[in-house]
Amino acid sequence: MAQERSVKRRLDELRREIDAIDEQLVRLLSERAACALRIGHEKKLAGMDVYQPSREAEVLGHVQRINAGPLDDAAMKRLFERIIDEARRLERIADEARENGPIE
Amino acid sequence: MVVVMQERATDEQVQRVISQLVEMGFDVHRSTGALRTVIGAVGGNRAADPRLLEVLDGVQEVLRITEPYKLASRTFKPENSVVTVGDVRIGGDEVIVMAGPCSAENEDQVEAAASAVKRAGAKVLRGGAFKPRSSPYSFQGLGEEGLRLLRSASDRHSLKLVSEIMDISQLDVITKYSDILQVGARNMQNFTLLRELGRSRMPILLKRGISATIEEWLLSAEYILAGGNMNVMLCERGIRTFESYTRNTLDISAIPVVRKLSHLPILVDPSHGTGLRDKVAPMARAAVAAGADGLLIEVHHDPDHALSDGAQSLFPSQFDRLMAELRIIAPAIGRSICLEPVARRGWGV
Repeated sequence: MAQERSVKRRLDELRREIDAIDEQLVRLLSERAACALRIGHEKKLAGMDVYQPSREAEVLGHVQRINAGPLDDAAMKRLFERIIDEARRLERIADEARENGPIE
Repeated sequence: MVVVMQERATDEQVQRVISQLVEMGFDVHRSTGALRTVIGAVGGNRAADPRLLEVLDGVQEVLRITEPYKLASRTFKPENSVVTVGDVRIGGDEVIVMAGPCSAENEDQVEAAASAVKRAGAKVLRGGAFKPRSSPYSFQGLGEEGLRLLRSASDRHSLKLVSEIMDISQLDVITKYSDILQVGARNMQNFTLLRELGRSRMPILLKRGISATIEEWLLSAEYILAGGNMNVMLCERGIRTFESYTRNTLDISAIPVVRKLSHLPILVDPSHGTGLRDKVAPMARAAVAAGADGLLIEVHHDPDHALSDGAQSLFPSQFDRLMAELRIIAPAIGRSICLEPVARRGWGV
């Protein structure tokens, strides 16, 4: 009985830790997305394509180089591919909004 | 759609696919696996040609997930469509039977067929005046005179009339006499005809082409719907296969497939589907059991001397018997057939 209670206490503590990390992640992801939007705007002004494969490869290479585990490099690559996919989508939406004018 | 890359496709090949998808307006979801990469593409243009991706280096397979047709799709309209022809509703609970001779030959023959099919419980008289025959030397139909005979017999027996349109030049004359325009199997991909019928508001019965896939068939319906004519019914009539015992192979499975993909009513023509009289009733029973909204059946008072398709026409007595059987089958799947009391059967009328 007492043992069960202490397991529950430890789990609650770890889960609170996860929640706190998630809050940081969400904030950082949003900051990253905002930064990607600014890049998208610059690319637009310079007449460059939304999709820059060489830059995406650089980003993926960078995160794998600095990765210290326990996630392996391939897992880190897959996670960042999703982050990049969403950034590209955000750029497209922002781009269309600029072209079509403000939504009424 | 989903693009599956070949094993060991290079990064450059993956990048080329992504840039093509981005250009087509898709949002890309890349998933890099140990051996191969799978790229999910959502949004984008429905008309995007998947072959543009299939031909790229390193691509194993492109799977399209959405249908290329829109208005015909059940995604567009989840509830069943009902086509109304006067007081006849096709696509509702009642299974509607359309029966009559393959072609109108003379007044007596049309009258005999109309009175026989009415007595048995058909709601619509079928009959051709313009016949698309495989051979130019076969009987080609009576033309407008045939339509006149069919119309007056329909009126005498309060039946609706369905007749085939072969060419857009016949639109005015057929519309004058007929309640439903049938587009035959041979014209299923006559896109100029379909487009014109989309401009009309006449109910259209679109038969499946002799070697058309269900997707091609629904795309043909889309041509009519896209013109604003929503009164479209589909009719399975058999497809050409390697089997030569029957004239065509009646694709009963098309009924549940079409029901799932589309909201349009689906009918079945077991007469053309098999081409043999003794196979018509079993396939008609199967079609109703499989959920068909209606049947198109050839009935002739003297099939041995019919000018066309005699071998697949039922005798009136066989048609009577078939209708009695269908009245037992339909309720088993929650449908009805010929709601009027046909109790006068056997009272000598």
